[in-house]
Amino acid sequence: MTDSPVPGEFDDVDEAVGREWEAETTPYERVREVISYTYTPVSAPTVAEKARTSPKTARKHLDALADEGFVTAESGENGGTRYRRSRESIVVEQAADILARLSTEELVDRIEELRERIAGYRDEYGVDSPEELAVERTNRALAETPDADTIDPEDRREWQRTRRNLAFANAALSIANAERFVGGESGPTGERATSR
Amino acid sequence: MGPGHEQGESHSLRGPVDRPVLIAIRDLVDDEEPLARPELDDFLDPQTLEVQLDDGLCGTERARIDAQWTTHNDYKFHYTDSKGVDLRWGKHPHYGDYGNVTGFEHYHPPPDTTSDPSTVEDSCITQSAPLLVTRAVLKLWRTAYHAESLTPLNAGSDPP
Repeated sequence: MTDSPVPGEFDDVDEAVGREWEAETTPYERVREVISYTYTPVSAPTVAEKARTSPKTARKHLDALADEGFVTAESGENGGTRYRRSRESIVVEQAADILARLSTEELVDRIEELRERIAGYRDEYGVDSPEELAVERTNRALAETPDADTIDPEDRREWQRTRRNLAFANAALSIANAERFVGGESGPTGERATSR
Repeated sequence: MGPGHEQGESHSLRGPVDRPVLIAIRDLVDDEEPLARPELDDFLDPQTLEVQLDDGLCGTERARIDAQWTTHNDYKFHYTDSKGVDLRWGKHPHYGDYGNVTGFEHYHPPPDTTSDPSTVEDSCITQSAPLLVTRAVLKLWRTAYHAESLTPLNAGSDPP
């Protein structure tokens, strides 16, 4: 086990980590990192500021990332383009991460478990979705029903989380299933093995 | 979780925990901090990234940082160790309950992340992107670790 490195002196931790990040990465890598976790559309100058690069450079990389499907570009209200991470690319990325670790059999078992967890929330609260639960909570609060506080707000967030992760897991299973039938006709001695 | 870990429901993080972000934080911690072993509490449906530390602060044997990050970019990084020291950097609405805190970013000081609102401070971390906040947490932890003091954890500078 190597020891933890001694950090150099710094005046402002925010500025220090920003500078380190800038020193360790290219503008492209920073633009990609910023937009990776940007789920609501933002302008190229906004990305540029966060990525410590110029608006022109940010726009160039964002447009390239949009071409390859990593980013979704849409027209903003005043004509400028706005960018966010593409939902499709999040799903595909998460599916690949899941498939790299779990076998199809393990995945089927875990999906069943997550489905049961969601069914449990439905049964417990008598509503079909966490959004309905929020409405139901508000209605109960407005009506000052005494048991309004028996509904746990953490449950609502965990329900949303499990539903989202179940969607990733389902996508992973679908991809695994689809892959069995794609290019499989050529078999082990087929195209892939004999090309070159 | 350490004692005094949570206040009321009004201080919940907004939005569900974001698995893609927890994975990115895990990979960054793995690359950056030799003393840390980060692991999701559930591979498929994680709520928390648990970062085991081979050494605690001020000579403590074992420690852990629990990280949560939501799709609304709210977060908690909670340090707890085998001597019972707890502290936490967080970002979420607190509805003016923390009188000394100007933004959503705040710091629950050690030793017990006290829930007394008057002791909650502004956080020295004001970066908003997940990996930059993680880098800041690691830097503050590392600085405190080498200083053998809890003071640098929210000082934002070295030497504080």
